[in-house]
Amino acid sequence: MEANADASESDAFRPLLLAACLLPLLLVAGLGRPARADALEDVRARKVLRYGSDMEGGGPYAFPDPRSPRGAAGFEVEMMALLADELGVTAEFSQGQWDQLLSVLDSGRIDVVVNGYEWTSARLRDHLATRPYYVYQLQLMGRKGGSATRWADLSRPRPDGRRWTVGVLVGSAADAFAHERAGETIEVVRFDGVTDAMLAVQNGQYDFTLQDLPAVLFYRERYPGLELVGPPESRGYYVIYARKEASALRDALDEALGRLIASGELRRIYEKYGLWNEAQEELAEISGPIEPVSGRRELWGWELLRRYAPRLGDAAVVTLGLSFASMPLAMALGLLIAVGRLYGPAPIRAPLAAYVELIRGTPLMLQLFVLFYVLRLPPWVAGIAGLAINYSAYEAEIFRAGFQAVPRGQMEAALALGMPRGLALRRVIAPQAVRIVIPPVANDFISLFKDTSVCSVITLVELTKQYSILANSTGGVVEFAAATAVLYLLMSVPLSWFSRWAERQADAGFPKGGATA
Amino acid sequence: MIEVRGLVKRFGPVEVLRGVNLNVGEGEVATLIGPSGGGKSTFLRCLNGLEEFQGGSVTIGGLGLDVHQRPADRERVARAIRQRVGMVFQTFNLFPHQTVLQNLIEAPVQVLGLPRGEAEERARTLLDRVGMLHRLDAYPRQLSGGQQQRVAIARALAMEPRVMLFDEPTSALDPRMTAEVLSVIADLAGGGGWTMVIATHAMSFARRVSDVIHVFDAGRIVESGSPHQIFEEPGHEATRGLLAEVHAA
Repeated sequence: MEANADASESDAFRPLLLAACLLPLLLVAGLGRPARADALEDVRARKVLRYGSDMEGGGPYAFPDPRSPRGAAGFEVEMMALLADELGVTAEFSQGQWDQLLSVLDSGRIDVVVNGYEWTSARLRDHLATRPYYVYQLQLMGRKGGSATRWADLSRPRPDGRRWTVGVLVGSAADAFAHERAGETIEVVRFDGVTDAMLAVQNGQYDFTLQDLPAVLFYRERYPGLELVGPPESRGYYVIYARKEASALRDALDEALGRLIASGELRRIYEKYGLWNEAQEELAEISGPIEPVSGRRELWGWELLRRYAPRLGDAAVVTLGLSFASMPLAMALGLLIAVGRLYGPAPIRAPLAAYVELIRGTPLMLQLFVLFYVLRLPPWVAGIAGLAINYSAYEAEIFRAGFQAVPRGQMEAALALGMPRGLALRRVIAPQAVRIVIPPVANDFISLFKDTSVCSVITLVELTKQYSILANSTGGVVEFAAATAVLYLLMSVPLSWFSRWAERQADAGFPKGGATA
Repeated sequence: MIEVRGLVKRFGPVEVLRGVNLNVGEGEVATLIGPSGGGKSTFLRCLNGLEEFQGGSVTIGGLGLDVHQRPADRERVARAIRQRVGMVFQTFNLFPHQTVLQNLIEAPVQVLGLPRGEAEERARTLLDRVGMLHRLDAYPRQLSGGQQQRVAIARALAMEPRVMLFDEPTSALDPRMTAEVLSVIADLAGGGGWTMVIATHAMSFARRVSDVIHVFDAGRIVESGSPHQIFEEPGHEATRGLLAEVHAA
């Protein structure tokens, strides 16, 4: 394996080929990243330090300020205000999706990332970190009265023989911690938000959630059905991340942090939020950035892809499964709705029209949330049902248009031959409508296929989510972006071919149709 | 066979039929002539229930449609009527996704429950009669208008109706195709057995095949009579105007 890796790295052609394929991607990435000699100078010149954070992750880090809901509150918000003050500038909060903050940092739209981002070797490959500003621990939470008393209990099988389910924030230290220990007795379920996982556990959808202690302390009162399980596990550091070339900015922040720690100002913030504990004593003992264990990315290009190919493959199967399970349902549902609206009695037409408007007029993500968190359906059921319901509204409109495009005379001719209305619909109108709607329906299928990525909000790790996880944990953004794009194309292009083939098959008057049955 | 009393049809505020009375006897060939917009087509479509009407009644072979029926009853009666009354449309309305043969066996198999083989046998006989047996496997779009209309006639006949309604069957055709379709219809009319009601602008055809001619004008039948009466001794102004137009053309 070692020799292989060396051989492929020394092979100058493959990276070149890869680079050629990815040129457009790199260009786009490059455009968003203007060469910046000194981020510190920039910050001082504009007198604003922009930091990326995600209010969805919530308290106590950064959350909408209850007193002025347009502003942000949280211990990190207060800390950044002090740090900016030390640099002689003002701090500016910038909202971003938590697991994408480092990508936003790379794009140059923000100067630093501060949002409970843990110190990890992987992140240090492409970014700089300050000294720690908080020592975090991981805390297991479960429903009150559960059988487990500490993390170690999860290594025993669940009484019913199934695996314990543990919800984590995707890409967090808890994710890595649980993933390493997952296996025969533990299944990791990834959430986009801290509170989503807590809600799902309180709902009884999953057994536990493993969270950073600060979040647990902040939110425990909001979820009275949950309790802390055992003592905190593991231990790590929150650090501020800056771009690789922004060493002056990093050093300045480092010094400022040192002053806040020494003066006790940082401690006062932590005490205000109930976050101070003995573990924080260590902050004063670490005088500078912690060096990575190994600063080098271990795997590149094909090697990296080959290593993680099974995970991408699994995710592609999830994407395909969601698509092929939901689209037929959406079409069947849409057909019923269209027929009901066109030919049904008046009392059912109005509710059907309302259904279409309601479903078309609200986002898929919201519908998924309702199915998953309110109706508490299992993720697969919620995902398939959500996509099917969402697309049924669009299919209904397509079918309605298709039926209406069949000339009136066709229905009249069928009726004049003594056919009941239903038979005429089925035998005469529907086959002609189908021909008309094949292209738009195929188009929607491809669109649904890509919309399956929204299902990541209800813990389904499909292709896009898997890309995000892998890109963040390995640093192989370009490799995985390319591989993911290729996988999507490999799956969607045959769909286009199939649709064109179906169109040809359905084309009326094709020369050698099976006339004499 | 057909008895219509005081038929009134309105499209919104427009009164298209203003109390039409008409009788057609068993085996009789009746033609409806008159200017476009005179109500001929609408009248035909009321006969087999494709069009609802606001006043009067229609009775065909003992089955009655009137304005007092509940919608469900009306639909049931209309369906019973349609199984005995064939209709041929101005625009043919063949099913484009089916071949000629499939068009002909569709209703006999699906509605009458005829075995497939028997339905095909019947279809071949009828296609032979209208001179279309050689295009059995063609799709409608591969046929000329005249050919399509001949197939449409055979399709209506495949249900073995006792009454045939023709709604301006040649208005969408050029003169040569008109001639071929009219000769098929004339052949059927001469063959006897069917009660036929034909709305048409083809005057010489009407004169040749009709037992009775009814002149429609402004939603009423203004004159009825034998071809000789209508063409040689027209009694109504509208009829004379119509004939003058034809002679001028």
